[in-house]
Amino acid sequence: MSTFDATTLVYVFQIIIGGLLVGVGVHFVPVGGAPAAMAQATGVGTGTVQLATGSGLTGLISAGLMMSVAPDNMLLIVMSGAVGAMIMINVTMLVGNWSYVYAVGVPPVSGKVDYDPITKDPQPPYIAPGTVGHGVPTVSYVSGTIGGLMGGAGGSLIYYALMNINGISGLSAFFAIGIFVVNAVIASYNIQGTIEGFHDPKFKRLPKAIQSCFVATLIIGIFAVLIHGGV
Amino acid sequence: MDMVSMGLLAAMGALATIAGTSEDLESDVGSQSNPNSQVQLAAQVGHTHRIYNKAISGEPPSNALYAALAAVTASVLMSDVYGMNAFFSIAVGALVAAVFNGILSMTSYMGRNASQARFDQYIYLDVLRSHTTTIMAHAYITAFCVVAISYIMTAPWLPIQHPFPLPVIAFIWGLALGAIGSSTGDVHYGAERQFQQYPFGAGLNAANSGDIVTKGEAGLRSSIDNAWFCAKFGGPVTGLAFGLIVFLDNWRTTVFDPATQGWYAVLIGILIVILLNIGNRLLEIRAKKMYGPYPEYAGEIKA
Repeated sequence: MSTFDATTLVYVFQIIIGGLLVGVGVHFVPVGGAPAAMAQATGVGTGTVQLATGSGLTGLISAGLMMSVAPDNMLLIVMSGAVGAMIMINVTMLVGNWSYVYAVGVPPVSGKVDYDPITKDPQPPYIAPGTVGHGVPTVSYVSGTIGGLMGGAGGSLIYYALMNINGISGLSAFFAIGIFVVNAVIASYNIQGTIEGFHDPKFKRLPKAIQSCFVATLIIGIFAVLIHGGV
Repeated sequence: MDMVSMGLLAAMGALATIAGTSEDLESDVGSQSNPNSQVQLAAQVGHTHRIYNKAISGEPPSNALYAALAAVTASVLMSDVYGMNAFFSIAVGALVAAVFNGILSMTSYMGRNASQARFDQYIYLDVLRSHTTTIMAHAYITAFCVVAISYIMTAPWLPIQHPFPLPVIAFIWGLALGAIGSSTGDVHYGAERQFQQYPFGAGLNAANSGDIVTKGEAGLRSSIDNAWFCAKFGGPVTGLAFGLIVFLDNWRTTVFDPATQGWYAVLIGILIVILLNIGNRLLEIRAKKMYGPYPEYAGEIKA
């Protein structure tokens, strides 16, 4: 039986920050949904929640391992999770691009901007007729890397907070997965399932996602801490 | 780092590669995931077909379910109550997952095609018989490999010790594998194999949605033909992606002891990320040089 004190508030705060990182991170992940799988839209050909969760949870495996050997080093745990998620999303995007380039025969190109903001490459001449871009161009790739970093860090932070309350890794991991998915789904609604990255006009909807993720994670965070604390 | 850990890591990478390949082919035989939208649409735009149609859910949740199911069964059988050998426990666990997959696939195929009766789409019982078993076989291999990876990461007598229980690790790897499969290999099926009658080198023109190929090299095309085609590229690259992720993610913490050299593991991970970003940029430059701009483009921005 634990009491509701200052430490508890710190844990709730950490869970909220973690949830917000996940919510914001999802906006960076370039996903084109079903059209992208037909090389009809820019981004990875899957759902936002699916890719963000896949990468964030891969990061959770790295963070879990790190927490088991260095339980007090929060920064190291969070960074381990972030790096694990970044590796997952980077490899997926790169191999996805192999499929677009070598199996479909289309160059990676953005449909939302005329020039790639990072490489300054012109985009429209490389867009196949009847499509709105395809593959993962550099700007989306970098954006996806940032998304992986934030998602992995957020998931790990939630796990770190829960582990400090109950010390049971399996339970904490599953609660962290749950909180992760809630925030990923809210963010996904905000961008209506597809986004090219931070250069996409939909990215401007970010403040709304921050508000909703904050409210959702605050409620879940309080209950998670109470349940895990055994009140 | 000791040789046993390194050997186990290599085994995990190999198992992951097989798991990735079979996962992608399983989704290709069943037309799960995003390309399913076109199979679904085909009958509605007048192309009745003999393609298996099972959109049970997104690939990540369904794969997470199979992997977790196999892992739970395996851990129960491995527990002190039953005391079964790990190898056979994982085999039985994978069998349970495959049977579940078979049930979901069959109900999904029958439900979807029955609902399209108004478009003259039939339920083909021979397709159901031949394809469901193929799907189950691939699902078995996937579940077996994912649980084997998770077992290597958690078994108390092996050097790699992960704190998460076996089912949680299997759940996470299953989910990640589904995300990878639907992001990489499915593009080969969705953008290329389903629309082979259109010239190579373009994404699907929105005007041609649903116009999938329904005739095969001989007779009518079945989904097993699709798996044969995708096994040449989509399947192996998915395997490569999952193998790389499992290998690179665990290699960092095998070479550098997380307890004492944790920051080195993080830094080497960041280095890998930077190299992958450079690799993608090189691929983009190469692709644009190789294919050039589209001749139909009539805008003012020069390539």
